Order: sequence, then C-alpha cells, then structure tokens
Amino acid sequence: MLSIRSLTAAVAGTTILDGLDLELPTGEVHAVMGPNGAGKSTLSNVLAGRDGYEVSGEATLDGVDLLDLEPEQRAAAGLFLAFQYPTEIPGVGNMYFLRTALNALRRERGQAEVGAVDFLARAKEQMASLEMDPAFLSRSVNEGFSGGERKRNEVLQMALLEPRLVILDEIDSGLDIDALRIVATGIEALRSPERSMLIITHYPRLLEYVRPDRVHVLTDGRITRSGDHTLALELEAHGYAPVAANAAS
Amino acid sequence: MSDAVSSAPTSAATADRLLDRLAPVAASGARAERGRAFLHAHGLPDHHHEAWRYTPVADIVAALESARPAPLDDSKTSSIDRHTVDELAGEHGGPRVVFVNGSLARELSDSDHDAKGVWLGGSEDLAPRRPPGATAPEDEPADGFHALNWAAGTDVAAVIVEPDAQLDTPVHIVHLAVSGDGVTAMHPRTVVRLGPRSRATVIESLVGAGGAPVVNSSTRLLVGEDATLQYHRVVDGPDEAVHVGRVGVVQAARSTLDATATITAGSIVRTGIDDRLVGDGARSNLRGLYLPVARRRYDNVVTVDHAASHGTSTQRFKGIVDDHGRGSFSGHVIVRHGTVGNDASQSNPNLVLSPSAQADTRPWLEIFADDVACTHGATVGRLDDDALFYLRSRGIPAATARSMLVAAFATEILDGIEPPSLRERLLGSLHGLVAEVVP
Repeated sequence: MLSIRSLTAAVAGTTILDGLDLELPTGEVHAVMGPNGAGKSTLSNVLAGRDGYEVSGEATLDGVDLLDLEPEQRAAAGLFLAFQYPTEIPGVGNMYFLRTALNALRRERGQAEVGAVDFLARAKEQMASLEMDPAFLSRSVNEGFSGGERKRNEVLQMALLEPRLVILDEIDSGLDIDALRIVATGIEALRSPERSMLIITHYPRLLEYVRPDRVHVLTDGRITRSGDHTLALELEAHGYAPVAANAAS
Repeated sequence: MSDAVSSAPTSAATADRLLDRLAPVAASGARAERGRAFLHAHGLPDHHHEAWRYTPVADIVAALESARPAPLDDSKTSSIDRHTVDELAGEHGGPRVVFVNGSLARELSDSDHDAKGVWLGGSEDLAPRRPPGATAPEDEPADGFHALNWAAGTDVAAVIVEPDAQLDTPVHIVHLAVSGDGVTAMHPRTVVRLGPRSRATVIESLVGAGGAPVVNSSTRLLVGEDATLQYHRVVDGPDEAVHVGRVGVVQAARSTLDATATITAGSIVRTGIDDRLVGDGARSNLRGLYLPVARRRYDNVVTVDHAASHGTSTQRFKGIVDDHGRGSFSGHVIVRHGTVGNDASQSNPNLVLSPSAQADTRPWLEIFADDVACTHGATVGRLDDDALFYLRSRGIPAATARSMLVAAFATEILDGIEPPSLRERLLGSLHGLVAEVVP
C-alpha cells in the first residue's frame, strides 16, 4: 500500500529526514518509534502535504506518488493523518466540518453525498462508541476541547471518513489511561484487511492495546532497525541509544 | 460634531456648485434651509478632517459633481416591481416600506400592514398624522454631506413606534437607488422613533438596481426611555455605488440599542454612526462587518458618546479585506465629565486576505471621567495556515477551506441577527463575496 523510498525532507537547509525507506503492506499496522527530534512528526507532515519542507524521494500510495498531490488530493486518495496537535478552528462547526469533508471525499471518489440526517445518525453512532457527548457536534472544531477530547475527535473523523491509509501522529500523547483505552479501542475497531496504519509514537504504551505487525525505529532521519512487536518492549527496556549506536557502527 | 467647521473656502464653493446641481429647486422647510446655510458656510469635509482621514472623500465629491439628481419618475423607476425589491433587499416577514431614489413608492410598499402600535410612511403623510413630539430635529448637520442630505433630500422614511408597543415583526425600510443614464445622486432619509418602553426591530436596506448612483443617506434613531431597538443596516450595492451614510442615534434613559451595520457591495462606502447616550443606564451594542474586495473602499467611523451615567457600550466591527480592497474602522468613545459608572468597549479584528489589501484601524478614546471602564483592541491577521492545512488534510478543497475560514471569521457578527431570513441573506452575500475573492 504505502511505499516510501529515499525520502528526504529539510527545513531551511537543515536535513530532518535523510533517505528514509519504509514498506507498509495493505492491511498491516506498523509502528514508527524514535526519540525526540528523530523526524517522526516531519514524516507525518510530509506524507500529509504540509507546506514548509523541501522534499525529495518518493512516497507512493498504491503506485501514486503522494508527494505530487495537494493535501486534499492525498485525502481523496485515502490518506488520513491524525494530528498530534489538532487545530482549533473557531467559528467552524464540528458537524458542518465533518460533513463537508466527508462529502468532498465522496465526490472525489465518485460516491453519492451523504445528507444531513444520514450523517448525523452515522456520527452519533461513532460518537457513542468513543464515549463522546453528541454536544461536540455543535461546537466549533476542537475549540475548547481538552487534549483527550481532541484526540477522540481525530478518531471520530477517521471513523467517518473511512481512509485506507491512516497515520497516527502521537495519538497517545496527552491521554490519561482511560482516554488511551477508548482511543485505542477506536483504532483497533478500524483495523481491517483493506486498511493500513502507521502509528508514530514515543512510547510503547499504545502498542499494548493496538499490537503492530512491525515496529520500525527512526533515528537521525531514517529507519535504522525493524522488527516485530517485541522490538517495542526492547526499546522500552533499553531505550534508543543502543539502536542508534548499532546503526552508527 | 464639528467636523466641517474648519473647511477651506474652496470646498464651500464646491458645495455651492453641488447645491445648484443637485438641489436646483430649493426644498422648502427649515431643515433644508439649515442644510443650505451649513453647506454655504462650511462646505464639505476633506481628508484633513480627522473623521474623514481614511475616506477617499475627493472621489466622493468628484462623483457628486458629475451627478444629476436621481429621477423620481421615469421608465426605469416605474419598471421596479415587488419581485425586484424581494431580490435586492429581501422579504423579512413584516411591513416593508420602499423608497425609490429617495421618494416613497406606495405601490411597492405595504401600506395596509396590520402591525399594531407603529406608524410608517413618508413625509407627505407624516405631517398631518405626526404624533406630538414625534420629531426631535438636530440643531445642526453633522457635516457637509449631512447638510447636503437635508438640502437636497426629497422625502423621509418614518417609523414611529407608540409608547409601550411591542412589535413582533420587523419593519423593513428599503432605500432603492435606480440610476438613469450616467451618475445620479440621491439623498435618502430615515427617522425611527421608539416611544418609551416600546420594542421594535427595524431593518434598513440601502440597495440599488445597477448603475452608478451616489447615495448620501441620513438615518436618525431616537430610542425612548426603557425602549429597545434592534436596528440592522444593510449596505449592499449596486457594485458601482458611492455611498456616504450617517446614522445619528439618541438614547434615552435605560434604553437599549442593538445594531449591526454591514457593507457588502458598493465601490466606496462610508458609514458614520454617532450614538449619544443622553439618559442614565442606556445600553448600546454596535456590531459591524465590511468586506471590501477588488478596489473597493469601505470605512466605518463610529462615535459613542457617554453623556450620562451608568451606560454600557460595545463596538465590535470586523473587516475582511482582499485583493486591492481597503477597509477602515475609526472607533471614537467619549465619556463626559461628571458621569459615573460607564463601561465602554471597542474591538476591531481584521482579516487581510491579500498582500495588496489594507486594513486601517484607529481607536480614539476621550475619557473625561474617573469612574469608568474602557477597553479597546484591534488585530490584523491572515488566514490561519494551520487551520487551512487541517481542513485540506480532511479532503476539503483549498478554495472551500479558505471560504469556510473566512465565513467563520465573519459569522460571529451575523450569528445573533434576527430575523433569521436577514441572517441567511447576509450569510449568502458573505459566501458570494468569498467565492468571488478566494482563488
């Protein structure tokens, strides 16, 4: 599904991603772990199409190079980024936003638009499973939401927009243990043979709930080690330093 | 107000020429005479006047100098039907009184409305039926344009609300500019008077059916003791219009004014609002929204004068400027000597969508009392890149995302507007403009 080859990204001349390679097959869940400053958020931003990076290399989604596309085209192609810090948008109602997004995607994908009543029913069903108050729909996007509420709102969007490729950027940051369980359950529910997920995280805690098929270690802008889910436990026990030393030798 | 008092003599000469051109037949009455005398003595303001600093006043004067009086009865004015008025100004569920080129158009107006406690009409019907004390004429025009309105205006839209009357439908005054050939000038005038303890909503639409009219309007709002007025002023075209408008308000004790002033079309528009709180405990909430695009110039000059104690006032005006558009807000707060317990706030957030657009903001506070709370703030910003990326990352096309954010910025001003039909109409104008300007 997602194939990243020799991906480099720089900001104002400083290289952050430095020849990153990664293969994420259809239906698999991979974790990318790494210390602060390794380039984890840059990876998710570059894949989603945020401005401000000088990018080279290739990142194809089913053969289509994402790097050539505008952010909304990447979304239409099936990409969804759950933000580490979801943006507050005062004045834009959450429900209006979600329905506009869903229908924009459906139009691009040649599907019929979803009416307001239908949409509300879908949204309420998903919100119930995420233990979200339906009142969130009438509030402005992320405005005044707590950290946990924002992350749940990200998972809600993911559930409604039905992407094929999900990138979760530090979805576990700022969550207490109950919120983490709810968010993880929501993610696990979206796991399917047609959908791939890339979980970008500092800490292995989330991976206890959502067990990845593969774990990759990102240090100094590239993948320096890959393994199965036990690699996450090893990182927790020993930290990133031995991996980095290993990669350097 | 004494904006025009120091005018150069040349502008008095200009004013005399304008009087000859635009008011060739001397309108009778003391008001017209005072207007003529004022113009002759003081002329028109120019950009040296503080209150006209941001306004392209020379362009407005030039437009007036090239204008002829708007026709009152020709084939174009008589081709206007109710459907045209619906299109241009909307239908808001209450009695509508329509003035074409400054004159009451009876056939377009709801003269047989059944609203209780309100008297509506033009100057012809006003005189015999005028309730005692129904007018409170100003001693002197606020400036030369106001004086020209007095001198050259032909009619007045009057809304007289009886004491204790509670109007449950909005009264809609429509001033429609219908140009003949070339540039035409009109001087619409509106007077709204609320008796003590009454309550009413008045919508004033200043619109036009094409052409390049110069509209020089005057609106007077007199809000009686304990009365509540919701006033919505809509300046919405035509696109080539030059519009100078003044709203003079006098608020009696414990009265409430809740007003919006939106500018969505016209090439040059200046709205001046002078709100005097002359009775204790009056409340004024003024909100505005203006969206100059292309090379349009929209200016708002607002004065709230706390001449009594325990008043509260809010000025919140939002500007959205794009392309080569230029918008300004000058907010003046006066708190008079000897008053206590006044609370005034003022804010002017601006959204600048293009590097060639310009937003000017100018707070001007004159506080002559000690016991007062006064705040002001202005911001000039661009669309939030993070918010834009967030929306686009969800599949929303860039142009839609931009227009959502622009609308979000503006809706705060429109949100509370009643009736909903007016809010929807203004949102429609907003979305139309945004769709036009967003690349």
